[in-house]
Amino acid sequence: MHISTDIWTWVAVILTFGIFSFLWKDNPFYKLCEHLFVGVSVGYTIALTWYNSVYPDLITPLFRQGKPLYIIPFVLGLFYFARFIPQASWLVRIPMGFVLGWASGVAIPAFFQTNIIKQIQGTLLTPGIFSRWDVFLWALISFIGVICSVLYFFFSREHKGALKVAADTGIVFLMIGFGASFGYTVMARMSLLIGRFQFLLRDWLGVIK
Amino acid sequence: MSFWERLLKIDRKIIFILMAVLVLFPLLKPLGLGVNSGPRAKAVFDAVDAIPPGKTLLISVDFDPASMPELYPMLVALMRHAFARDVKVLLCGLWITGAGLADKAVTEIPPEYGKEYGKDVVYLGWKAGVDAVILGMGENIKNVFPVDYYGHPLDSLPMMQEVVRLRDIPFMVAISAGTPGFSDWLLYGQSRYGLRVGAGVTAVSAADAYPFLQSGQLTGLLAGMKGAAEYEVLVAKNGYSKAYMPAVAAMDSQSLAHLVILILVVLGNVAFFATRMKRR
Repeated sequence: MHISTDIWTWVAVILTFGIFSFLWKDNPFYKLCEHLFVGVSVGYTIALTWYNSVYPDLITPLFRQGKPLYIIPFVLGLFYFARFIPQASWLVRIPMGFVLGWASGVAIPAFFQTNIIKQIQGTLLTPGIFSRWDVFLWALISFIGVICSVLYFFFSREHKGALKVAADTGIVFLMIGFGASFGYTVMARMSLLIGRFQFLLRDWLGVIK
Repeated sequence: MSFWERLLKIDRKIIFILMAVLVLFPLLKPLGLGVNSGPRAKAVFDAVDAIPPGKTLLISVDFDPASMPELYPMLVALMRHAFARDVKVLLCGLWITGAGLADKAVTEIPPEYGKEYGKDVVYLGWKAGVDAVILGMGENIKNVFPVDYYGHPLDSLPMMQEVVRLRDIPFMVAISAGTPGFSDWLLYGQSRYGLRVGAGVTAVSAADAYPFLQSGQLTGLLAGMKGAAEYEVLVAKNGYSKAYMPAVAAMDSQSLAHLVILILVVLGNVAFFATRMKRR
């Protein structure tokens, strides 16, 4: 056992216990740690945004290298602050319109290709699925699952007869999906707990490798 | 009050203490339950293994300290695998809070293999604007990152003479805790520039990643701490590293905790139905 002599490890340990104290009940110690976490995160984000993006990508080219075109993003950026001046608040629409227009133009075709076209291709039964029996089986199950799950969300007709059978099958697939998500969520939460315990046992107390 | 009723009214603090003990015990006294590597982790491993020595693996550090226990071991194992094979590693990040974590890995891992910064590994850092960053990297990395995280001009780094744009990178792994993350690399990196993408994700987002795996958009997937442990085992088994494996060490605790949760869920359901029948 080699207890850490690093002051920052001790700070992290105290904050860890502060967060854990919520398991007993809400208390000022927990609140202090929570606020500290939020404050540090925001401060870190502001500092890093300034030094990694704003200063090298805008301030340096515009004011130190004298590239006049950079005045456009500079002014557009300043327009965001017009929100704080009621008479000029309409100016914020200009950068927002620019960002939304640009982002939509870039994102919509890519999103359509990645999340719709490729996913439909992945669901289709193609000759390739006959290469192995297990590939065929999973492709078939996936195909049935997708069709039935989509039919469950088809509300233009009453769910009865064949549609009811398909919708009910869809519910089974949806429940399996939610179950898998829940199982994974439990694993994630346990992983975080294990990570903190590893920190306490290894970095602080030095009782494990 | 019957046994089942008492079971349903059990104080949550008792369950917390039980879980804490069950997680602590295997960490202090490992049970050695072992980890088997699945096909999804193997696919990521094979893809990294197929990168010719001298070429570059891109790792995107898209997570924060909150997801560090699950994702940091993946980052370390991937870097060890690459360096052991003389593959160069280029790191960048879409999460501002991950910048320090990538810096930690860049400081700690390359010296284990005698690798030099600038020649074998480069950390580009973080830049605002996810889509613009990836699209820009597709055209020319230097346009997006004129200097690296430490302020060195990219032109002064020997490794960056050969890696100009995303097409020069045979494979990348996006280690993501959510959005932005692997989905953005698929959206802009793969659909536009044909970048081969593997993903390491938190367990929470693993279910979202599976459809991309089945459609072939993702080459492989490391899901949560289990995925990290699988990769660590593959790296160790193939003789690329003898270092301590934090994710593997945690899997005993994980398994024990899951077993108890399963038992509690079953007991809770039995107790619920038993008391309901009694009420009727």
